Amino acid sequence: MVRGVRRVVAVDRVGRPLHLYVHHTAADAASHVSDLLTGEADPVADQADLEAISDWAARFSPAVAPDPPDGLFLDITGVAHLWGGETALMDDLLARLAAAGLPARAAVASTTGAAWAVAHFGEGFGAPGAQAGVIIPPGGEAAALRTLPIEALRCEAAVARQFDHLGIAKVAQLMALPRDQVARRFGAAVPRRLDHALGEVPEALIFRRPAAPDLARLSLAEPISAPEDLARVTRDIAVQLCARLETRRVGARCFTLSFHGVDGRARRLEVSLALPSRDPAALARLFAPKLETVDPGFGLEVVTLVAEETAPLTARQARWDPGEDGSLEDDAIAPLIDRLTNRLGEGAVWRAAPFPSHLPERASVSRAPLSPAQAPERWDPDHPRPLRLFARPEPVEVTALAPDDPPRLFRWRGVIHRVRLAEGPERLAPEWWRAPFDTADERESELGGRDYYQVENETGARFWLFREGRYRSDRPTRWWLHGLF
Amino acid sequence: MSSPVQLGALRTALAALDGGLKSARGALSFGDARLDAALGGAGLPLGRWHEAAGEGLEGETGVAAGAFVACVAARLANRGAVVWAMRRADLYPPGLAGLGFPAERLIQVRVRDEAQALAVLEEALGSVGVVAAIAEVGGVDLLAGRRLTLACEVHGATGFIVRRRPFGGGAPPGAKGSAAATRWRIAPAPSVPAAGEPGLGPPRWRLTLDRAPGGRPGAWIVEFDHGPYPLRVVAELADPLLASPQPRRATG
Repeated sequence: MVRGVRRVVAVDRVGRPLHLYVHHTAADAASHVSDLLTGEADPVADQADLEAISDWAARFSPAVAPDPPDGLFLDITGVAHLWGGETALMDDLLARLAAAGLPARAAVASTTGAAWAVAHFGEGFGAPGAQAGVIIPPGGEAAALRTLPIEALRCEAAVARQFDHLGIAKVAQLMALPRDQVARRFGAAVPRRLDHALGEVPEALIFRRPAAPDLARLSLAEPISAPEDLARVTRDIAVQLCARLETRRVGARCFTLSFHGVDGRARRLEVSLALPSRDPAALARLFAPKLETVDPGFGLEVVTLVAEETAPLTARQARWDPGEDGSLEDDAIAPLIDRLTNRLGEGAVWRAAPFPSHLPERASVSRAPLSPAQAPERWDPDHPRPLRLFARPEPVEVTALAPDDPPRLFRWRGVIHRVRLAEGPERLAPEWWRAPFDTADERESELGGRDYYQVENETGARFWLFREGRYRSDRPTRWWLHGLF
Repeated sequence: MSSPVQLGALRTALAALDGGLKSARGALSFGDARLDAALGGAGLPLGRWHEAAGEGLEGETGVAAGAFVACVAARLANRGAVVWAMRRADLYPPGLAGLGFPAERLIQVRVRDEAQALAVLEEALGSVGVVAAIAEVGGVDLLAGRRLTLACEVHGATGFIVRRRPFGGGAPPGAKGSAAATRWRIAPAPSVPAAGEPGLGPPRWRLTLDRAPGGRPGAWIVEFDHGPYPLRVVAELADPLLASPQPRRATG
């Protein structure tokens, strides 16, 4: 609908012989076909459906890019052999789409642009009984494109109309024109699109999932749904993929297992590892507890397993003694880290690393348990630090002899502690460089740093207290408890 | 003989053989004859699990008990990985480092509840490459305690329970009759600054040993020391009953 005019947005194979065209107004269309029923277009639902089909198509290749409003790009590099060739893959794809009530046209080419052009504007698609897919041999892009209209280059409609006025209707005519003049007249997009189609310039696609060549696929003779079948299939596919990883001498840190059901929905499970691995038994064990969450529906017929974040595995140097960095230890405990991380969640398992900041809450950062150690930074042993640090300091009431004196008495959580010994102050200034430049002065005077005291009460319990800001006569001094020794 | 997989298999095989030789686990000496004698002569038995609790406010904060466990586990940390499971992740690595613990190598695990903390502890104890594992929980009942004992025996890892109840929570359930090899109560003790120096002396704790296999209960005042044995006994208290400021509760 544009400016209140109802227009035709899609024409199918029934409508085309009846002279219905996209952009026809609804009134025109109704005059061609008297018994035309109209419905509102719903682009949002179309988009959602296209994304669902993209996810479904991941059974053919992990790299699927939706091409709104009605297209899909599949990067089938290296996966066609699973079907026994590109033709078989394309036929399977089209047959499954047709079975789902989605007639489609497909083209396989070495470039995205050529495949798109042929799939949208290729000859002989519409006729009954004609083939639904075309395979363009590598190097045959230019020949395939020559006879196609300018629109096949995915240029804007306005640009295509300009070509039309100039009598340039076919790509072959455009190819004959000097490139710089075309670019000056119609913008750089037109020759670039041609380059994309001819494979002279690589084209970036936005895939639903990144391209991953490490894919294993099991097509099941009959749909499965029993939990023990899922476990067995998981083991089988893990063995298959890990064998492939082994030949490349790599391991992976991230595995995605997808069960594609007969209902066309993909159930996706993910496992991430602390260290790259290709141990099928360990992988199957990590997936095992997650299999319970898979709802098989009416059955699952295809399983794919994708390995991501691959890294060389044989490059690790085996050591007999634990080194300073604990590398031998890391290999040994990696399975434990994986089990804990996958059960408790990312971020629930960590190691601490020193961070160069004097503010106590920033002096320690979490890092992934088995990430290689950073620079040999150490916490300064000269400054005493508490064993427990509160995430947010707790307010305490403090009695001190003078504003600048260490506390003599303080109350925390309703209990009064008499200070027997105190050490301090250790003055920690705020990190003015982290504040916006303009407000740095204000903040500095407002915060004024903290004066930390380590105090011991009569029983020997130790507390880490700080006084907030500088002493000012116009406001009470505030004290906080930040940690316990 | 170079692939890590083979190495791991060998290590597993060795560990399985080791499982039959429980006496070979050894013990961790405290470096003081009085403390070691109370623990049966050799020191803290390894390949078992131990329990450390605090009293009063300490039962909530788990500071002294945590410090004691850190000092003991620090001496094991060069032999393998140490795992610390807790509900409230308020452990401060620079503070641990101050107690001589290699905090940047500690694997910290945040759990949702008591059961999960015990499950993580059990799993860590039974894993290759872990030399000690620590969990902060309110209490360990008999069944969970036996499971921990079995997990410790798999590879000879040593377990520690830091008894810690939620802030404002009541006494933890299952506080009685746990299957711990040794049971300790840890409380802070007033420090003694070096003569003529201002400020605080090295931290001191009062250790009360309530239960030890083949040993006898006792109480000591220990002081933190940067030497090879982080806990240096400065005084042996004659009678743990007298040493305790609170009447001792009946324990199993």
